[in-house]
Amino acid sequence: MASNPQPPSETFYEELKQCSSIAAAPPPKPWERSGASSGPAPFKPPSAGSTSDVVEASGTARPGEIITSTDRTTTANRNALGRPVPTRPWEQQSYGSNTYGGYGSTLNYGSGYGTGMYGGVGGMYGSSMYGNSMYRGGYGGLYGSSGAYGGGMYGGGIGGPMGGYGMGMGGPYGGQDPNGPYGEPPSPPGFWISFLRVMQGVVNFFGRISILIDQNTQAFHMFMTALLQLFDRSGMLYGELARFVLRLLGIRTKPRKVHPPGPDGLPLPGPDNPHAARGCIEKPKAAPTGSWDNVWENDASR
Amino acid sequence: MPIFKTPFNGYSVKFSPFYENRLAVATAQNFGILGNGRLHVLSLPPSPAAPISEIACFDTADGVYDLAWSESHDSLLVAAVADGSVKLYDSSLPPANNPLRSLHEHTREVQSVDYNPTRRDSFLSAAWDDSVKLWTVDRPASVRTFKEHTYCVYSAAWNPRHADVFASASGDCTARIWDVREPGSTMIIPAHEFEILSLDWNKYDDCVIATASVDKSIRVWDVRNYRVPVAVLNGHGYAVRKVKFSPHRGSLMASCSYDMTVCLWDYMVEDSLVGRYDHHTEFAVGVDMSVLVEGLLASTGWDELVYVWQHGTDPRAP
Repeated sequence: MASNPQPPSETFYEELKQCSSIAAAPPPKPWERSGASSGPAPFKPPSAGSTSDVVEASGTARPGEIITSTDRTTTANRNALGRPVPTRPWEQQSYGSNTYGGYGSTLNYGSGYGTGMYGGVGGMYGSSMYGNSMYRGGYGGLYGSSGAYGGGMYGGGIGGPMGGYGMGMGGPYGGQDPNGPYGEPPSPPGFWISFLRVMQGVVNFFGRISILIDQNTQAFHMFMTALLQLFDRSGMLYGELARFVLRLLGIRTKPRKVHPPGPDGLPLPGPDNPHAARGCIEKPKAAPTGSWDNVWENDASR
Repeated sequence: MPIFKTPFNGYSVKFSPFYENRLAVATAQNFGILGNGRLHVLSLPPSPAAPISEIACFDTADGVYDLAWSESHDSLLVAAVADGSVKLYDSSLPPANNPLRSLHEHTREVQSVDYNPTRRDSFLSAAWDDSVKLWTVDRPASVRTFKEHTYCVYSAAWNPRHADVFASASGDCTARIWDVREPGSTMIIPAHEFEILSLDWNKYDDCVIATASVDKSIRVWDVRNYRVPVAVLNGHGYAVRKVKFSPHRGSLMASCSYDMTVCLWDYMVEDSLVGRYDHHTEFAVGVDMSVLVEGLLASTGWDELVYVWQHGTDPRAP
């Protein structure tokens, strides 16, 4: 374990400044106990003294140097490899919105968004978090698309019944495989385009919600209708069955249909009134007294 | 083995070089996109069944992407913060007295910090402003700035045997070897066709480095002959976020990836994939191997969980 680690105090930093010797050392590393390396190393032998002394003795010390963006462009010329490097996610002005030809041409930035423009790890913007944006379409939710994970790997899977809810905007358009983006990665969209995409995501989201509510209401209505119909029909079935059983038992029941008397008290044709039916055939029915207005009810004058 | 739930998404985990039961975790809110960060100092329980206890935690105004334990003080921590600052914390002091120092020179997010294990008085920070800075604990400003990379520098690591030599990995698809006494880099290794996210030195062979890249592979290089890689390790399904050589076995290394797995590799043997753990349900972004206990691994990821387990056992087992 620790070879007497010092109890840290408020002033340990001051102590550190004064004494160059190390206050406490961790246990020896396992590799320090082993032998040397596999061969001669191409490194200069280590110098004695503290790191700051060594650097200052070499004449390379430049305390507190701040790298500005202008420094960065000059260093770019010294790139020994001469490889093209992608633009940085925060360099908004270089987003090259001219490639996009307006917001309408979705196809362009669809594929561009996911492939490497937010390269790297760590995360300032959506998809950069995924290490070179392996998840096409950016990191949904927050940036540019409605889904929780944008397109790509999680693709349309998330949110199951909603059918591709998680599909980021880049998803359907992203033709390139983000993990094998051979060729130049297109530059990322500008501010307005990303803003509009965010807005589209929001609108999409609420659209989906309202569709869901509508569908649910409809389904509920149909369910209730069906239920009522079922009760209705089952009541009739019960009646029929009961009559059948009673018939079998030899109990005569009155037929359910009771024919109401017709207008003017005339019995309507039916199985119970054969005479009326015959009479109806033989001679035309007399027009009721008064007018036809009183056909369906008894004449008020009677 | 024990599991610790962090409130934010995990970004990095490191074992203390002083105490075998202590580790620290760097976390960032909202997947590190925006929001606060927190640094946890955790203590492992004596028995595996007990939960991990928290010794200290420090809040920051921006996500913490990486941390490094001091090699000279058992309670001192260096944190890489997304606002471009490098902060020094003393885990034995209350949060009111922390951070001890906030070193603000980087103009972009700081992605990685590494403490010099041999000279023990300095540390490196690698940031998205394409530069690596060398700091010593006795100076209020950086001693030197190394700017040659043409894209974000994602990782910097000291050579375990040479106190003046370190390596850096960058998004410009190169790894560079530096000597703090030289004005420029001493070696440029065009290691991958895609961005390199992490690199580490072999602890038992000071000429061997491993680089992890977005192209889903890990490559092992000998700096004396870097035309061809010593080994190419394929097996991850997405970009490899971190690679770490074992402190106990020369050819063993651990890696974690956006395919949510933590893998163990032995680049010397034919079947190089030694172990595969898929316990994380989100991106695994932090992995470490204990210096003091052989085979003890820790990992963290965006599922806000920290796992500590012995190699060969199931991390999820209670």
